[in-house]
Amino acid sequence: MQAKPNIILISADSLRANHLGCYGYSLPTSPNIDKFAGEGALFEKVFAPGIPTQPSHTTIFTGQHPVTHGVVAHGGKAKLARGTPFLSEILLEEGYTTCAVDTLFRERIWFGRGWEYIIDPSLHHLFYASVTQEELNDRAIHWMKTVPKAPFFMFIHYWDVHYPYVPPDRMRGMFYKGGNPTDPDNHALDAWWDHPVGAMARDTWLRTPNGLITDPNYVTALYDREIRYLDEGIAALSDALDKQGLAENTMVVLLADHGESMTDHGIYYDHYGLHDCTVQVPTIIRWPAGNLKAGTRFAPFRQLFDIAPTLLEAAGSELPEDLDGKSFLPQLTGKEEPSGYDQVIGCESTWQSKYYLRTDRYKFILARYPDLLGNPDRELFDLQADPGEDHNIAAEEPQVVAEMEKELEAWIAAKMEAAGRTEDPVRKEGPVAVEIWEQHRG
Amino acid sequence: MEQEPQKKFPADAAVPKPPAKPDDLKDSTNAANEPEQVIRPEDEALVVERLRELGYIE
Repeated sequence: MQAKPNIILISADSLRANHLGCYGYSLPTSPNIDKFAGEGALFEKVFAPGIPTQPSHTTIFTGQHPVTHGVVAHGGKAKLARGTPFLSEILLEEGYTTCAVDTLFRERIWFGRGWEYIIDPSLHHLFYASVTQEELNDRAIHWMKTVPKAPFFMFIHYWDVHYPYVPPDRMRGMFYKGGNPTDPDNHALDAWWDHPVGAMARDTWLRTPNGLITDPNYVTALYDREIRYLDEGIAALSDALDKQGLAENTMVVLLADHGESMTDHGIYYDHYGLHDCTVQVPTIIRWPAGNLKAGTRFAPFRQLFDIAPTLLEAAGSELPEDLDGKSFLPQLTGKEEPSGYDQVIGCESTWQSKYYLRTDRYKFILARYPDLLGNPDRELFDLQADPGEDHNIAAEEPQVVAEMEKELEAWIAAKMEAAGRTEDPVRKEGPVAVEIWEQHRG
Repeated sequence: MEQEPQKKFPADAAVPKPPAKPDDLKDSTNAANEPEQVIRPEDEALVVERLRELGYIE
């Protein structure tokens, strides 16, 4: 057997952790992903340090927090510095054959770094996120069969779960418990039309011959069907690995860049807001030759910037010094006891500019600019009493707010200094999309 | 404060079995009443136009 494992990094865009069976969901959205988790290791509490897609994937590939690499917004002005370490580039230098089955390089140029092969079947679509798992798998599996030499590193970026939610027609009837999806008297989604992405949905994928889809339970069912469809793709990819004899020494990592808000907190079917539904992500790793104990679940906090150092260590690569993440490979392979972080910190600067500091007990959210949902600049949630983060208790717990704000600001200042920054990148970038939101409302 | 691994937890909980419901969890009555979703090329073009306005697509 080759010494270095093949590595397949799967990013399921917008896949909310608690809509998977292995993360406690009650509906059978993910039987194959659950089986995959049972064959490997599942991390229960992994958080995205930056959302949405561009900041989060930049963190996944650099092993750095957004405050360090500077890409805090989706569609923002910041560019990734050329000297920043990049996972695919390092593995390429280590002798890996690298292949991205992905679209991200079309959005920001740094996502093209380090790939010997880039395969993009989304070019067959007007909108890249309309590409399906079947189209991606078709190319990915063919590439694996004809890969010129091992070891290889492949990145597959599935878009099925990202809006627009248009699952295959054969899934009609799944996960919807009755009612009228197009009831014209149902106004539960009306607030969504106030947002540009909601208006886009209303004008396109929610329009049907029966009328406009108005039932949020039906939209959630469409989302869950997309997960089920993705789940079939994970099974197909896994089967292909088995048939090609690659499964044993291929480390497969399944994660998401962020979750999805399903009307939670006034955010409709989108991925902004720093609540757990959006910043907590599924992370599952299978690697039979790595001696992972099948079915292991890791409870400590980890962050997505830990992925790059973990994969680099698995590949036998020396870790760059300027990573924020810590490898959890020794824990994964049973050489160390599970451990993690006491607290996690993240940010966003697309529809709103905010930071979060999360401990096991509390979530503190601090706004750099007022948001358009009318939330206060400081929010505090008691996650033990209120895991859904529905009740802001900042006014009732001023001491906790003061302590967490002090902790958060000190952390940001230290991280900026370490990165050689003189300005908070979230404050500098601002909520890059909010002007369009205001114009839309106007 | 730098974030460092500190807490230790046992990793002994087993992955729960997938739900025991059948794979094809479809309600035929619901399915018949559900609208057909059709994304027309002009819809997809509109999505692209809107996302380009947002800076999501260059």
